[in-house]
Amino acid sequence: MTGHDVVFVLVGLLTAAAAILTVTSKNLVHAALFLATTLAGIAGVFLVLAADFLALVQLVVYVGAVAVLFLFGLMLTRAPIGREALDNQNRGLAIGVSGGLFVVLSALIVDAVVGGSLGDTTVAEVTGPGIEDIGMAIFAEWVLPFEVLSMLLLAALIGAIVLARREPGDSGEEAMATRIDFGDAPPTEGTDSLSSGSLPELTSGERREGGP
Amino acid sequence: MPIDFIAIMPEIVLTVTALLVLAADLALRGDAKQLVNPLATFGTLIAIGFTVFLWGDERTTFGTMFVVDAYAVVFKLVFLVALLAILGISWRFFAEGRYFQGEYYFLLLTSFIGMVLMPSARDLLLLFVALETVSIPAFVMAGLRKRDLYSSEAALKFFIIGVLSVALMLFGMSMVYGFTGTTDLVGIAEAIRAGDADVPLLLGSVMLVIVGFGFKVSAVPFHFWAPDTYAGSPMPVAAMLAVASKAAGFAGLIAIAFVAFEPLAEVWAPVLGVIAILTMTLGNLIALQQRDLIRLLAYSSVAQAGYMLVPFGLARSGSDAIAVNDAAVQAVLFYLAAYAVMNIGAFGVAIAVNRRTGLRSIADYAGLSARSPLLALALTVFLLSLGGAPPTVGLWAKFAILEAITVDVTAFGVVLGSFVVINSVIAFFYYLKVVKTLWMDEAREGLPTLQPGFNLSAVVVVLMVGTVVLGVLPGLITDFTSITSVLATG
Repeated sequence: MTGHDVVFVLVGLLTAAAAILTVTSKNLVHAALFLATTLAGIAGVFLVLAADFLALVQLVVYVGAVAVLFLFGLMLTRAPIGREALDNQNRGLAIGVSGGLFVVLSALIVDAVVGGSLGDTTVAEVTGPGIEDIGMAIFAEWVLPFEVLSMLLLAALIGAIVLARREPGDSGEEAMATRIDFGDAPPTEGTDSLSSGSLPELTSGERREGGP
Repeated sequence: MPIDFIAIMPEIVLTVTALLVLAADLALRGDAKQLVNPLATFGTLIAIGFTVFLWGDERTTFGTMFVVDAYAVVFKLVFLVALLAILGISWRFFAEGRYFQGEYYFLLLTSFIGMVLMPSARDLLLLFVALETVSIPAFVMAGLRKRDLYSSEAALKFFIIGVLSVALMLFGMSMVYGFTGTTDLVGIAEAIRAGDADVPLLLGSVMLVIVGFGFKVSAVPFHFWAPDTYAGSPMPVAAMLAVASKAAGFAGLIAIAFVAFEPLAEVWAPVLGVIAILTMTLGNLIALQQRDLIRLLAYSSVAQAGYMLVPFGLARSGSDAIAVNDAAVQAVLFYLAAYAVMNIGAFGVAIAVNRRTGLRSIADYAGLSARSPLLALALTVFLLSLGGAPPTVGLWAKFAILEAITVDVTAFGVVLGSFVVINSVIAFFYYLKVVKTLWMDEAREGLPTLQPGFNLSAVVVVLMVGTVVLGVLPGLITDFTSITSVLATG
């Protein structure tokens, strides 16, 4: 075991511990901070593996943008942050499924790498492609997926605005809300189910301020 | 490296149209905003023109990443014609509802860019990007009825399950890349053939990728999102999800299964076959219980996905299996084309009935034959076709699947075929129940008159005529699908 291995194991343990804390933490803000730690830890793993470009991208994209976005999202939506926000009846099932998947997948990986079913795994010194090569690859050979991604990001941007915007002028007079009436529901107040407006409207349509 | 711009012309036209729609929406005010619909329709027609122009060509560009061949062109035409139909049934719905129209059409077009890319993609990375381009705008579109809690639920369920499935798929893809050292589909097949094929890790990764696509096509047991999402989305979006988005999932699954993982067919074919049986049976049995037409169509579309998965269960590896695999791919393609015609039509009628009232339980369709004989007749034709009655295209779609089974009869194939037949009988029960409601039951008093609008009526009539004409002359599609054998390149 070389010093390199020791560093790798240490960084890996740190990352794994932060990841576990992310899903066990009761407080959403703490969870987001632990997530940032996990992502930074992954950047560290890349660095130890001599993938400095990946490490840099990981830092800029995930730690820099995604984690901060999480925190901003929490603040802006005023999401419930405390304990009561995280109640889910299916916790046991979720633990079972994800734990099972984890055991199966890690068994498969260990089998492939240690058990030798990959064939002769040769240990080679990793000298990843330089940043210049990566740039050439993105803008020459892989330009089509790159351009499609830019369209996808534009769609995501527009979509986020549509979902977040509240503008009575443009979306004020929406179509009728969904009404599901099978005709045999237990009679509630106003039993004549076809006199307009007496159907149970399952909408959040109380926001009508200022609309046309 | 020169780029073959002719080959990607349909995608370019759709992109330009999407951006124009966005700009036009900014310039137009009030009622004029609905004019983005004809603009989008016009762009779609141009894209169809370019796609037809590509017919008979064999083009490859961006290395071997992007391929245009007969298979891809047929798929692209199915998508673009579906887009045309969806634009037709969307116009009044979104113009009257005063949704965010420009944004809706932009998202719709973007989603279809991903779909049109899908059958041409011969690279894991491009396939993945295309699939995401289909899904992410769809998440937003499902939630466009912002004041309807059902719609928010639809969007949230679709988003969370969609993201989960993508995470699984991406994990599997990264393992496949690690094992084979390439993202090129043909290259993956070669690497698998050259290497030790039964590495458990590789098989596990293949399963992860297939499970990811299973979510997309809403196969049991990954179908939970579909009924709630279809029921809550704006109806044209539900039609798009039930038809086009599902077809895109199948396009990706065909490329992954029959090109990249073809050497492992002995492993995944039985799995997909069993999933097909479960999907057909469960979808049909739950559909029997539905009293809401959209949920009935949703479960019926789950069952239809089961029929379309049957040919995957027949796949085999090796050079002597090319005939079987070709027949399987052609059967899926034929079924998808037929399914698109009849299902968009059924949703179109549902929109016409539902738009003014918001009512949509099957009981509300009682006496539709008196209120609007044309819509009642159309819905009858579509439902009979979904069931597979002559003389509709649905019969030939089922026939194509059974025909694929007969290419090389195996015990498993016979089991699959008998399940298709049994399920068709079950399905007729609930389709005919709706038909009976349409024609025999009395309409309730006080329902508003139906005003489907010209576009929607035109689309419904064209699709209805198409369902019957293709039922009489199925050769009109099979002539195209039968030459799409180029897929088995591996």
